[in-house]
Amino acid sequence: MGTYLTKRLLLIVPTLLGAAALVFVIMRVIPGDVALLIFGGEAGGQIDAKQLADMRHRLGLDQPLIVQFGTWLWGVLRFDFGNSLWTGRPVIEELLIRLPLSLELAIAATFVSVLIAIPLGMLAAIRQDTWVDYLVRIVSIGGLAIPSFWVGILCILMLVIFFGWGPPLEFTPPWIDPWANFQMMVWPVVTVGYRYAAVTTRMTRSTLLEVLREDYIRTAWAKGLRERAVVIRHALKNSMLPVITLVGTEFAFLIGGLVVTETVFTLNGVGRFVVDAVAHRDYPVVQALIFLIAFGFVVVNLLVDLTYAWFDPRIRYR
Amino acid sequence: MAAGSRRYHARLLVLTLAIAVAVASTVTVVNAAETPRRGGVLLAVIGADPPSLDPHQESTFATIQLVAPLYSTLLQTDPYDYPKIIGDAASDWKISPDGLTYTFKIRPGIKFHDGSPLTAVDVKATYDKLLNPPAGTRSVRKNSYSAITTVEAPDASTVVFKLKFPSASLLLNLASPWNVIYPKKYLDKDPNYFMKNVVGSGPFKFKSYTPGASFEGERNPDYFVKDRPYLNGYKFFISTETSVRAAAIRSGRAYIEFRDLPAADVEAIKKQLGDKVAVQHTAMTGQWGIAINNTVKPFNDERVRKALTLGLDRYTGGKVLFNLTGLKDVGGLLRPSTEFALSEAELHKLPGFSPDIEKNRAEAKKLLAEAGYPNGFKVILKNRNVKLPYQDFAVYAVQEWRKIGIQAEQRPEETAAWFADGRDTGNFELIVAPTVEASDDADIFLRRYTTGDPQNWGRFSDPVVDDLFSRQSRALDPAERRKIILQLQKTVLEHAYYMPGLWWSRNVVHWTKVKNYVAPPNHYANQKLQDVWLSED
Repeated sequence: MGTYLTKRLLLIVPTLLGAAALVFVIMRVIPGDVALLIFGGEAGGQIDAKQLADMRHRLGLDQPLIVQFGTWLWGVLRFDFGNSLWTGRPVIEELLIRLPLSLELAIAATFVSVLIAIPLGMLAAIRQDTWVDYLVRIVSIGGLAIPSFWVGILCILMLVIFFGWGPPLEFTPPWIDPWANFQMMVWPVVTVGYRYAAVTTRMTRSTLLEVLREDYIRTAWAKGLRERAVVIRHALKNSMLPVITLVGTEFAFLIGGLVVTETVFTLNGVGRFVVDAVAHRDYPVVQALIFLIAFGFVVVNLLVDLTYAWFDPRIRYR
Repeated sequence: MAAGSRRYHARLLVLTLAIAVAVASTVTVVNAAETPRRGGVLLAVIGADPPSLDPHQESTFATIQLVAPLYSTLLQTDPYDYPKIIGDAASDWKISPDGLTYTFKIRPGIKFHDGSPLTAVDVKATYDKLLNPPAGTRSVRKNSYSAITTVEAPDASTVVFKLKFPSASLLLNLASPWNVIYPKKYLDKDPNYFMKNVVGSGPFKFKSYTPGASFEGERNPDYFVKDRPYLNGYKFFISTETSVRAAAIRSGRAYIEFRDLPAADVEAIKKQLGDKVAVQHTAMTGQWGIAINNTVKPFNDERVRKALTLGLDRYTGGKVLFNLTGLKDVGGLLRPSTEFALSEAELHKLPGFSPDIEKNRAEAKKLLAEAGYPNGFKVILKNRNVKLPYQDFAVYAVQEWRKIGIQAEQRPEETAAWFADGRDTGNFELIVAPTVEASDDADIFLRRYTTGDPQNWGRFSDPVVDDLFSRQSRALDPAERRKIILQLQKTVLEHAYYMPGLWWSRNVVHWTKVKNYVAPPNHYANQKLQDVWLSED
């Protein structure tokens, strides 16, 4: 186990380096010049070549690419991700404004989705082809088919029209005002949680159905065990591996991938930050965020792999 | 010139007296009607995040609406009576008989929010930055001040503007809400300091700004106008989603949206909230049109440009687009019904403005055939990725051009890329390019049609237009100036250098508890909020 863990931790380094190099190259290949965009901004006069060259120099964009990449990596090693080219503020500072919100949304939505999905998936599997199964399948297909942002807009409109009430427009951290935080976050959590519950429900149902047809489950039934013992003790635990993988991947995605939902609920999260940074060709921000999101994915995947052993003792890591 | 100058100064005197009487009577009316209540925080929603906090370098409502309450300007347009000019930091001013020297007296006792006094030196430093932006900074409206040679500060309370030639528009330009006064000491350290920081002398002090989320100001207890402001503060919530902003008003999370909401949302809000809300529908000093790149084929051919403008049915467009976007009136290069606007009869004679659209389309097809495009052509129409009213307007134009055989494809771009393509590099064939300004002033609106102006996105150059612009700018006799301005508009439109679309109007929706806000015909002016108060929290 120790060797496995060391190997996996060491593998994180080339993975992150690869992701960083890829993003670095892509950001410089796509059309657009941050210096020009800064001058272009929302307004401004035509600028001359000298002003443009000065700005590129100020931003360090006149250095060879390898030097720029090396400088950036050296900064990362010292936990210094540089300053945003657009706002001039440290990237970490900008990120810390948004990260608590995105983390809270990701954790709460994952929690809600697991809480809904596993019981529903189980119910659908053990009552296969009954009205319960059909109902669960309809609800979960609905969750997959309807875009989250649309559910979000409907949510807001219904609250406003029927109750004359709308969610707060600004994020308040739960440790400052839990009630205000709840009022704002409950709607996006439910909206996003429903979408991911739909995916997880279907996965739980199908993997549990597979396991329920295994020989050892037949043996368990033959031994006269109660349904609860067969399903929960013997089947569910063994059917959880793909579900855990899915939940882990979804969680990592939720941190940076909810651009439209964030827009609808006026959430100033990491997703919108990434998209704005790409549009502004804000290289340090995009590089830092992709690097950190990649880091998040790697860590979550590692944790997921490690939990496999708990769910399935046959798995041994070498 | 002497007679013209005398008439000009007599007019200025009458105007000043009229302003004084009007302001006095307005204030009386306001006070008599309701006693302003102190306290409360004005909650507003806004549709964009500011690219920077420096109004000298920006031209978007996203900047000016947030920071205008934090600053003073030399002059301002009357909050109750657009476009009358009243003093802000300047208490009074004198114009020399030859119209070449403007002397302003700065009010005593104005303090910046860091406690330092606002003096003539700060005003001079501000205008020096605007007129001659230091390296690495920009001044968006620099060309509006071409008449000014120097700005002097002979003593702490006097500012003198020396002009090359008498300028009919100077006072209006000095009343621009964008020309906020900065303390010199910060500009000396870093001319870009105010892109990210605020040190003003306005009725409110900067409190907080969370990019992408909110912007907040709090009452300035040392504000130089006694007993103002009434509010304890103001707070803008930033949301790019129109439906979210409308829902915020409906639910009372916000009390006002200063820019515009579509008519459908306005109706829904009125239906739900009844007399709890008020809607101020105003005309707009803004027009949505299309810049044609005059330097690329086939648009360097006047026949093709004329065909494009002939192919747009503006009159039906005004009816179709009004409910969706507020785009309504057909007009030339200046707002319809204003002093220097083209009359309907004059407009009808210009290409694309005749109400007989079938005749226009036949003419367009004929011109395209003559230019070598009997079957039309394909073209990319670049646009800003903002729905209201940019994209709705473009959709209309695209389907109109199809009727004359031009297959246009709309390509929305992120704001910065749209500015870079349209204004900075000319990387486009056709691009939606509105003209929105803080006043109807002809100098401000028409400079974009002159050679080399930063706002001349079409990159055309016509010495006749340049000459007419220069002459109108110096003409102090309104009748003479009007004649020149009409000629300038006709020249631009006859050659189809630029293609105006429709003039905008706007719906400012607010809860009736928001008092003393009078919406001017643009979303830049009257944003200081000095007199605004809330009748309840």
